[in-house]
Amino acid sequence: MSKNHLHSVKIIKLVERQLGRDADAELIDELSAHMEECPECKIYVDSVKQTIKLYRVTDQKQSIPNDVSDRLFKVLKLKK
Amino acid sequence: MEEQRTEKQLVADAKNGDQSATASLVQMHSAKIYSLAIRIMQNKEDAEDVLQETFIIMMNKLHTFSGKSSLYTWLYRIASNVAYGKFRDKKHLDPNLSPDEPNFKTMSGHELHHWPDHLDDKLDDEAFRNCLMQALEELPENYRTVFVLRDLENMSTRDTANILEISEANVKVRLMRSRLFLRDQLLNHFKCVERPS
Repeated sequence: MSKNHLHSVKIIKLVERQLGRDADAELIDELSAHMEECPECKIYVDSVKQTIKLYRVTDQKQSIPNDVSDRLFKVLKLKK
Repeated sequence: MEEQRTEKQLVADAKNGDQSATASLVQMHSAKIYSLAIRIMQNKEDAEDVLQETFIIMMNKLHTFSGKSSLYTWLYRIASNVAYGKFRDKKHLDPNLSPDEPNFKTMSGHELHHWPDHLDDKLDDEAFRNCLMQALEELPENYRTVFVLRDLENMSTRDTANILEISEANVKVRLMRSRLFLRDQLLNHFKCVERPS
């Protein structure tokens, strides 16, 4: 985002509220309207959303290794 | 037979001292808790410690579990607390860290670039996946925990704040900075891989 993008702070806050599911419909409308007129903010918003999406997609749930599971049951004194 | 008992029945039986029910609950949830612990701790040894401590607490405190939330949510809060406690023990993190904490890279003033198209295709690229993980590792723990809980685990701002013993405002600030940090780290990676050799 350029140093001269004076409304960036406001937009960042709006984006964070939207991404954080803390925004109401009015704020989302305001953000959407602004992005239609402002390519820089649209790039910013899209890139932050994309970052989160990439992490969610790659966030494969790991299976627990057998040795870790064995030690867990041993510590808990439980039978598998 | 264990598979015919619902989780609710297993919890009730475990509360009454049924070891096989307790074992079934551990079996049901240990992989998910281990996965959460790995993401927060970023190393297997500490993650295993978190896993073991979480289920030790479960066994000692199961009688206090009211059943208002799912057992996983309850375990998840325990695991998050244990993990964050380890950071506090190791590094004496200040739970009331100022939202204006200095020396943290933000995107403010950074040049904005278009991102490459078809980013999803890059997920097959091991170097790109490593870059994603490396960027997450480079996030300071008190930021990474917020990012994992809020964005990867979809925990609410309030619950995250309660677990980490910080204000909701601080959760929001850390989340914003985490996202910007990760975004910038990935952007640097794109610049490297897109640059002609």
